[in-house]
Amino acid sequence: MNYVLNDRESAKIVEFIKNFARKNSLWVLAYGTGCGAIEIPPTMTSRYDAERFSVRGAATPRQADVLLITGYLSVKTLKRVIRSYEQMQDPKYVIGFGSCTINGGMYWDSYNTIKQLDLYIPVDVYINGCMPRPEAVLAGFAKLQELIGRGQANGWRHYKENLEWYRQNQRKLIKNWKMPDYNW
Amino acid sequence: MTFWQTLGAVLLTILIAFISGLFYMGIRRKVIARIQNRYGPPLHQNFLDVMKLWSKESNIHHGIMQHLAPLWMIAMGVSTLLFIPIVYNSTFWANFTFKGDLILLLYLMVFGSLGFALGAGQTGNPNSAIGVTRGLSQMVGFEIPWVMALIAVMIQYKTTSLTDLVAWQQQHHTWIAFQQPFAFLAALLVIPAMFRYSPYDIVIAPSELASGPPSEFGGKYMGLMMSSGSIFMFAKLALIVDIFLGGATSWLWMIIKTLSLYMIPVLWSAINPRYRTEQAIWSLWRWPLIFAVLGLIIASV
Amino acid sequence: MADLTYENKVILEMREHFRDKIIETRVQRERRVVMRTSKDNIESVLLFLKEKMGFLHLSHIGCVDWMEENRFEIVYILWHPQEKINVLVKVDIDRLNPVAPNIDYIWPQANTYEREMREMFGIEFEGLVGPRELILEDWDDLPPMRRDFDTLHYVMENYSFRSGREDAQNVREVIANRTGEEIPEFAKKYSR
Repeated sequence: MNYVLNDRESAKIVEFIKNFARKNSLWVLAYGTGCGAIEIPPTMTSRYDAERFSVRGAATPRQADVLLITGYLSVKTLKRVIRSYEQMQDPKYVIGFGSCTINGGMYWDSYNTIKQLDLYIPVDVYINGCMPRPEAVLAGFAKLQELIGRGQANGWRHYKENLEWYRQNQRKLIKNWKMPDYNW
Repeated sequence: MTFWQTLGAVLLTILIAFISGLFYMGIRRKVIARIQNRYGPPLHQNFLDVMKLWSKESNIHHGIMQHLAPLWMIAMGVSTLLFIPIVYNSTFWANFTFKGDLILLLYLMVFGSLGFALGAGQTGNPNSAIGVTRGLSQMVGFEIPWVMALIAVMIQYKTTSLTDLVAWQQQHHTWIAFQQPFAFLAALLVIPAMFRYSPYDIVIAPSELASGPPSEFGGKYMGLMMSSGSIFMFAKLALIVDIFLGGATSWLWMIIKTLSLYMIPVLWSAINPRYRTEQAIWSLWRWPLIFAVLGLIIASV
Repeated sequence: MADLTYENKVILEMREHFRDKIIETRVQRERRVVMRTSKDNIESVLLFLKEKMGFLHLSHIGCVDWMEENRFEIVYILWHPQEKINVLVKVDIDRLNPVAPNIDYIWPQANTYEREMREMFGIEFEGLVGPRELILEDWDDLPPMRRDFDTLHYVMENYSFRSGREDAQNVREVIANRTGEEIPEFAKKYSR
């Protein structure tokens, strides 16, 4: 019995089963402050029906697996995103949605929106477009599922390991740091 | 019955109730999806959800009451299930039924929700507090007609034993639903409120309260709640089947009857928006209560 | 030709009542009357327009930064629900000492606009109540909507860009050079 539990192969099998469950049950917390939020209702409802790919909405960060950042983030909303992200339970994934999260998009010279999302929280999948159509969103989810199945969507682990670096970037923007302590 | 036989029966009952409960929920999601002209998730989606929730690597809680809250739920679900005779005339599947089990069940079915309310209160989330107050007021709403309907049955057949009720129905080849139609109607109208499906989903209300009491429960706690929810759901359905729909002579009949009974709240919830709190309580205290009182009058004359 | 009788009537009446306190009046187009007054008279002008003339609704308060002339211009846009006419009342205030009267006792919704202007232009309103932060949080630079605030410089200092933006700077020009198209001088600034 002990031999079986410590066996490398059986650990691999357990990991495979876990990843299979994780990739086939994605509960999405849609952070809809940007214009991309308008693409979420058609993705979830009967026109494009994301639920057939096991993608479902979650009501609170505690229950969610995927944080969907739809569009631009101002410095003010970045605080809330960091807080929501840290409240989610591991393993957790982030999808950056639209050009704004990749490189600022049309707000590239705005004084108050962040340009690269992955400096502040780890992003597993980017969906480009302004705005991406629901087909592109579904393709992004499929890509995320593929990464989870291969065990490569490790943004949450990366965040834990490089917390200092992320904190440094976050503090550079959020000058008056009044966030509560980290609570895994 | 030896000890091992009892243990086997208990474990098998829980396992079958768990699996069928999760499948029922999957069927519900599929049915609602088809009504909304969607393809819908696969039937085994809820198993994957539970597996995923159990494989979460971090599970934080805000205190010992929240840590215990899902355990109250699962204790209620399992103990309710174990006092319900599943198969007629079978000593193996009779579980722990005894002469007064109907009265005990009335207490057991409330116990878990109250324990969970304590746990949800400890999370400190305002949505949880609102959800708990709503849930308790709704419980007052549906418990009154539900208990009155059961008391009507108890008075009419002069027994508080589920086994006796099932035996009476099986021997007379009829259902209490036909003998005592008003009590059955009251129970039927109360089922959506007991399952907290819309229009009675004022407690969970995802778009309004961010899922209410369980809003701070993630990971394994959520997984435990989904498992206990499926078991408790099957227990409630089996209870109503035993009382009103003549029990079952085999597991197959039990599955068929519970599933068809389950379709009533599912279809009702698929086409209904959400009540407000006072609407929910008044809708429960109007027709269900009138039917329950009529049932009581018929039973006592 | 549009009928401008009511527009002219508004101007006449205001002229008659306020005389030289109204500096400049004109009918910009149909249903739009523009007038300018001074900082001391703005409250009485707005009150008169609301109580006597029937401009019941305050649609918007805007602000224009005339940096070269060293002034801010605050524009109050009022709406007459019956006659369907807009009045734009303009006030100049000093840019170095930007203080304006608070009018949120006339229209409560002015409070939000004034808080926004306080945040975005740094204009102080006398006796304005409300949190200092409306849209920005922890802002310690110049008010960002002033024209001497260098947005691009601020962006380059505080945010970093992914590489690839440099190549994409003058896509338009590259394409124009390839096809031999000529970009007009005025459009060059915007064809990135």
